[in-house]
Amino acid sequence: MTTRKLELVCPAGTPAALRAAVDAGADAVYLGFRDETNARNFPGLNFNREELAEGLLYAHQHDAKVLVAINSFPEAGHPDPWTKAVDDAARLGVDAVILADVGLCDYAARTHPKLRRHLSVQASASNPEAIKFYAREFGVRRVVLPRVLTIAEIAELNKNIPVETEVFVFGGLCVMAEGRCALSSYVTGKSPNMTGVCSPASHVRYVEEGDRLTSRLGDFTINRFDSGENAGYPTLCKGRFVAAGKTSYLFEDPTSLNVIGMLPELMAAGVTALKIEGRQRGRAYVSQAVAAFRDAVDRAAAGAPTDHVDLTSITEGRRQTAGSYEKAWR
Amino acid sequence: MPQPSHTSTPPLTPVLIAGFALRPLPPVLLQPLLAVAMRLLQRRHPGVFERLSGVARPLFLVDPIDLPLRFVLDPDPLTPRLTALGEEDPPPDDVTATVRGPLLALIDLLEGRIDGDALFFSRQLTLEGDTEAVVALRNAVDGAEIDLVEDVLSALGPARRPARRALGLAAGVLDRFARDMETLRGAVVAPAMRKADTQAAALRRLEDKVASLDKAQRRQRRATTP
Repeated sequence: MTTRKLELVCPAGTPAALRAAVDAGADAVYLGFRDETNARNFPGLNFNREELAEGLLYAHQHDAKVLVAINSFPEAGHPDPWTKAVDDAARLGVDAVILADVGLCDYAARTHPKLRRHLSVQASASNPEAIKFYAREFGVRRVVLPRVLTIAEIAELNKNIPVETEVFVFGGLCVMAEGRCALSSYVTGKSPNMTGVCSPASHVRYVEEGDRLTSRLGDFTINRFDSGENAGYPTLCKGRFVAAGKTSYLFEDPTSLNVIGMLPELMAAGVTALKIEGRQRGRAYVSQAVAAFRDAVDRAAAGAPTDHVDLTSITEGRRQTAGSYEKAWR
Repeated sequence: MPQPSHTSTPPLTPVLIAGFALRPLPPVLLQPLLAVAMRLLQRRHPGVFERLSGVARPLFLVDPIDLPLRFVLDPDPLTPRLTALGEEDPPPDDVTATVRGPLLALIDLLEGRIDGDALFFSRQLTLEGDTEAVVALRNAVDGAEIDLVEDVLSALGPARRPARRALGLAAGVLDRFARDMETLRGAVVAPAMRKADTQAAALRRLEDKVASLDKAQRRQRRATTP
């Protein structure tokens, strides 16, 4: 049996990672400019305009698309970096921009009507009314769904909206209402929403205390890892805290999303594209994750099972979960 | 590669053995080699220094835990410098951040063969100091597509082909040696592992016994409560 293939959308934090993603079989690569206009504004990461032009050439020569994330929210009274990012992406001929802010969606629709527009997960649009609004008003063609929906909910959503859906299948797991989470901002004054970075490295400290590793974010101790215990990211939502006399992960464990075995169900739910998270990860991660999902997508299209690859070595805390796709809580 | 339980404990590898042999040599002897390496890096991978330009003049201490040496990296875009320090030499006071791990893991990281976050999650890599500077360095290096062998060969001109053959042979010998070391490590720790397994099994039996006694006591208490 063969059927329509899912589109594989892969991360690139550097031109080297873009080439690694394309070489490993990405259908599309998403990336950001080297500033606060995207939600992975990490030091030493991302693309300047020349690098994007070269990356576009490489991707298009290999039949891959390039999507540019301009998915943080413009600072009040200072929209120029965001509108310039949209203008430059259009000028350089990218295949789509991934936007979150309503004003920026409006700007892109009016100024560059031919530029394909995707709605970022940062917009947190997860019901038919919200998605239809973005489609009707700004001509959005695809929506990236938040990582809080079950497969049944995604299937129901797809029956009621006029646009494509893209879902996360691997990588960092953010279970908060994205674009509206203020945890990082509360602790550091910076957030993915406005400055493009969650739990910025400038506010992170790691301290070795004997065999134990302590991670701190701002003035908060986020976690203490015993000898031999795998570590995780130092974000507040993945902190291990003492509450009611018990030490536990209050919000979420340090673990990665991995639903490589669920691609047939996602196809049946009407999903168009699969997103691998991790623009901040190295090209070794990109190569390994993309190659595994390339094979899985091809297998799914041929009607074969897709749970054949072990990606534990590149997961956070060396643990993985199906997250809300297999929601076991109420 | 063997997985150390903690980064301060070096893995048993050929690097560790080589480190013992290197110990009597003064680090200053390495300096001309390191200077050539930095000139090569600057010439072949200028993007590394450009990507680091967003961070205010960092100074890194790179500490391979299986060598009796540490390295101070000053990634100045015009005159980058790598300085070797002996075990007893104090690092500069103004070190921005320290990166610590087994040498082969650090080389894998440098050449982008391994993901830095994965290395950190598995606790093979330790970071201290300014995390932002380390993240910038990691991203800059990962984006540069450094290949140490190709970079060195590029400087050899006509000697490139025989040097490549010699390096290939050396890599084969090193790989064999690493596998032998792993076998040796397994043989050395096997008795201790067997003892630990026996103790763990005894502990599990005790825990089960205590749990069953607790359960019996609760049942008896309920039966005698009016």
